Amino acid sequence: MASDPQSAANQRIVEDLVSRLRRRQVVGSRATALETLLVLRQVVSKARFSNIDQLISIIRSVGRRLVDAQPKEHSVGNTVRKVLHHIREEYNTASERPAVETSFSIARFVLQGQPRRQQTAAPKSEARAPLKENDPDDPDSFARVLKPVLMEAIQDVFDELETVYDNISKYAKDHIHSDEIILSLGMSKTVESFLKAAAHNRNYTVIVAETAPSYGGREMAKSLSSAGISTCLVPDSSIYALMSRVNKVILGAHAILANGGMFATSGSLLAATAAREYSTPVVVCAGQFKLTPLWNLYHEYGALDFGDPSAVLGFDEGDLVDKVDVVNPYYDYVRPELLDVFITNYGDHPPSSIYRLLKESYDDEDNEL
Amino acid sequence: MAPKIGTGKEKLIGDEDELLQAVILADSFNKRFRPLTTRKPRCLLPICNAPLLDWTFESLALAGVQEIFVVCRSHPEQIKAKISESRWSKPGSGIKIVPILTAKETFSPGDAMRDIYTRGLVTGDFVLVMGDLVSNIRIDEVVRVHKERRKTNKDAIMTMVVKESGAKHRTRSRADSAIFVLDSGTSECLHYQPVMGYPPASVAAIPREILATHPDIEIRNDFMDCSIDICSVEVPSLFQDNFDYLDIRRDFVHGVLTSDLLMKNIYCYVAKEGYAARVQDTKSYESISKDILSRWTFPLVPDNNHPAGHLYEHRRGNKYIDKEGTVNLARTSRIGNKSLIGSSTEISDNVEIVSSVIGRDCFIGAGTIIDNSYIFSGTSIGSDCVIRRSIIGSDVNIKDNTMIEKGSLVGDGVVIGPDTHLEAFSRLSRKRSSVPPREAGEDDSEGEYADSEEEEVEAAQDSITVHLGSDSNAIVWPSGEMDADEDDEDDVENAKNQRFMRLGDSASDLAFSDPGSESDEGEYSSDEDSEFDRVRLGNLANSSTTSISLDVPVDAADATAESEFQNEVRLSLDRAFVEEHSVDNAAVELKTLRMASNVPLSRVREAVVSAIVERIKIIEGGGIPQRQEIAHIISRWGPLINRIGGVDAVETISALQTHCASSDRLLLFGQILAALYQEDIVEEQDIRKWHRSTESQGSGLPAGAERT
Repeated sequence: MASDPQSAANQRIVEDLVSRLRRRQVVGSRATALETLLVLRQVVSKARFSNIDQLISIIRSVGRRLVDAQPKEHSVGNTVRKVLHHIREEYNTASERPAVETSFSIARFVLQGQPRRQQTAAPKSEARAPLKENDPDDPDSFARVLKPVLMEAIQDVFDELETVYDNISKYAKDHIHSDEIILSLGMSKTVESFLKAAAHNRNYTVIVAETAPSYGGREMAKSLSSAGISTCLVPDSSIYALMSRVNKVILGAHAILANGGMFATSGSLLAATAAREYSTPVVVCAGQFKLTPLWNLYHEYGALDFGDPSAVLGFDEGDLVDKVDVVNPYYDYVRPELLDVFITNYGDHPPSSIYRLLKESYDDEDNEL
Repeated sequence: MAPKIGTGKEKLIGDEDELLQAVILADSFNKRFRPLTTRKPRCLLPICNAPLLDWTFESLALAGVQEIFVVCRSHPEQIKAKISESRWSKPGSGIKIVPILTAKETFSPGDAMRDIYTRGLVTGDFVLVMGDLVSNIRIDEVVRVHKERRKTNKDAIMTMVVKESGAKHRTRSRADSAIFVLDSGTSECLHYQPVMGYPPASVAAIPREILATHPDIEIRNDFMDCSIDICSVEVPSLFQDNFDYLDIRRDFVHGVLTSDLLMKNIYCYVAKEGYAARVQDTKSYESISKDILSRWTFPLVPDNNHPAGHLYEHRRGNKYIDKEGTVNLARTSRIGNKSLIGSSTEISDNVEIVSSVIGRDCFIGAGTIIDNSYIFSGTSIGSDCVIRRSIIGSDVNIKDNTMIEKGSLVGDGVVIGPDTHLEAFSRLSRKRSSVPPREAGEDDSEGEYADSEEEEVEAAQDSITVHLGSDSNAIVWPSGEMDADEDDEDDVENAKNQRFMRLGDSASDLAFSDPGSESDEGEYSSDEDSEFDRVRLGNLANSSTTSISLDVPVDAADATAESEFQNEVRLSLDRAFVEEHSVDNAAVELKTLRMASNVPLSRVREAVVSAIVERIKIIEGGGIPQRQEIAHIISRWGPLINRIGGVDAVETISALQTHCASSDRLLLFGQILAALYQEDIVEEQDIRKWHRSTESQGSGLPAGAERT
């Protein structure tokens, strides 16, 4: 495999992304998801395989490398899982095998009442040449037939990522009503486009917390007010004081966990807890690529990501640096009890049904790459 | 092909015509880490369980460097082996690393630079770093700034990266720091004065012309020098030309800035974000370890982008434990904050570890206390030991009930104990007789330099009686104070200054015993620097005295050289006048002459002024024709006065005065001065300043001329 120039090229692009992920030169869940997808597309288009298992193992090994490089960027793994799921689906329809019920699972049990998307896709494959796995005469025939379909499948994931903001924004006017006061936090592209979309139909006020130490809130407030939304920028410390007047808290997420909790910009836990005190609804806007099959049951400390302390305490404070330990977490873990609804590009979901979305989006065997 | 990756590739290719190169000087050129570095180069010492060189590579990789030359001197084969087995030499790393062996005679960074020049390694602007750098600064940004500047100013040959840290930061070396004088607007480095811990400095001397030519300057004593330099190709060749340059900062930077012949500029880049520091001594080893563990170097932290590729789990309180689960932590052991424990290490019952780094495959016996210490891999420590603020090498065996006091360095493979007490600041290494023969052979071929010192130490063993335990194989190194008398106090490596670099040594007795206390800085009276053309910081009011008064009286030999020079200048100017050279060409010629006969700038100025004055024809009857003649000559040749390598209008007027007073053109003085003023060669304030100065009164000029 290594001698093959094509797989060498593959290895190089994988290695390139690995080192960029390690060095934090690609950050943010959507950016990493897009980069991962580009690498996977490249890998699949160059890969040589003669049956589905080989292909899947190639993708999994690439995925494992990327995830190991940066376990804190959950959307990398999610994208790999999504692609694997799509590839299996395409393969099943292409080989005209009915979706094999391998074993009984809760996911299928829940889904039994629903029509499967597969069945509508099935007739499409009839015109295609029959798939022949492990053909000894022409080992590439399998790849040749399947590749266009696979590229299409990857393109679908790609399109979904491209349109994720618009699709989430569609639901904006169902959630934001006129004359409401909305509290938001940090800089989240999803929340930003959501609020801007709502402003087309509604007249409302947004309070943005500064979100120290990244001060993403300032950027957000600037962007919102330039879009003509009446916006107030407040320090983080006044979130609790203002909560009694707020109708709704809208947050972004870094990753949505299987138990319905989420990792989000630090400060989100503060806002969510304050909202609980006043029974203010907390709405989370996030693309589906943030769904992560991970249960943060033990609230592992290291699961959060810790940046450098310089944002909190300047390096030039020579005397203090020696005496004070500063922690600067990027994310908060927000428990599912504190959240009310997730708005994804597939619709609204309560935290308690996130696990079901996960089952639909990914295959069980990929949970551990 | 994916569009995003496509653009990334194109960008790489776009940069290719200016391939970003880096040179790592992988030798320390000093002995601060002895005896840890007797059998291993310093750049392979582990910090947070990864060799220093790997941290440096990672720092450069962050900046997108494509080609790295590693200049190694001691133990080159070890460095070579390390590079070839590291992940950097695998395909796909995107970096080409070339180890360069330099001669054993390379004793300073300057020699290494000359070697780089003779090999012709670099083709464009390059990054020069030391092999002990830990950094997350975006060096590519600095390179961009440097290149931008080079487009407009070809003389900007170097950009030094400095970091604001405050004067008392733990990572800022007190023994080897500097005062930077910067132009506030352009951040051009105007003056560089090294500062040492001992002898302590209380006064900074800043050349007067800096104050004259730059309205806005910053005098900074809070910079941490990161030793990241963006150099242009000229830098190695300058080292080649000036064979006495040894240190990059103290000799090269200082030399370039003080030389008015080179006319090159050095700039500083004050890094606002990011972290960069050098492991230059045992003290900075400790502080940088702590900085890494407190995540100042993010994203270069053990749990995220560990340069050696180890995986660590980050736990509350900045504790890092190996992720593979091979660490055996006893239930009753206590791990304090800011600690790192490598894989396959076993920690027994009741062990207490406080802010320490433990390597891989170590064993710590029951009841041992390890406090602020750094233990390399493969070491085993018995029970009930106490180790405080020390560095323990790899494969060391410390037997039960041993006490190691602060500041100790224990070399690789040493066996000590049981029941031993090591004094503070003791240094141990393994006896050479216990070295396996094959390795000993290697040692010999590596060079007698290291060996002779080891032998010396070994020979001196009889005089030292320290109890090191029954089956110890260690030899004790003498403490640094022994040869203190031989040392030159001006050298950074002097014994007292070294104490500021020593792990665990606060050197408080030195810091507070400094003879010239800082309070009298204002009324400075010492004369230690009087031969320099400089002003005192606290004494700016008197700065108008001109350099002439400071000129060293010339003795007989110099006098002949002087007269020869005067003659040469006159001839060359005559030629220039007759053949109508351009001012630029004439200036170049003068500079060459000056370099050849090594005379001060003021002499050249005098010669030029007098030559120009002599050029002016005396027209009988004076009046308008005379004035026109003066204006003509001054407008043609006047600019030359300021092109000889420095602008000092007051001195020009004085020279004019001196010359006129002794020639038959005395009466033209006023008119010439007026013409100079018209040509903007002298300004009104210069004339006023000159007028106030003592010389303008002294030479017995007619009162009328003075009041021009």
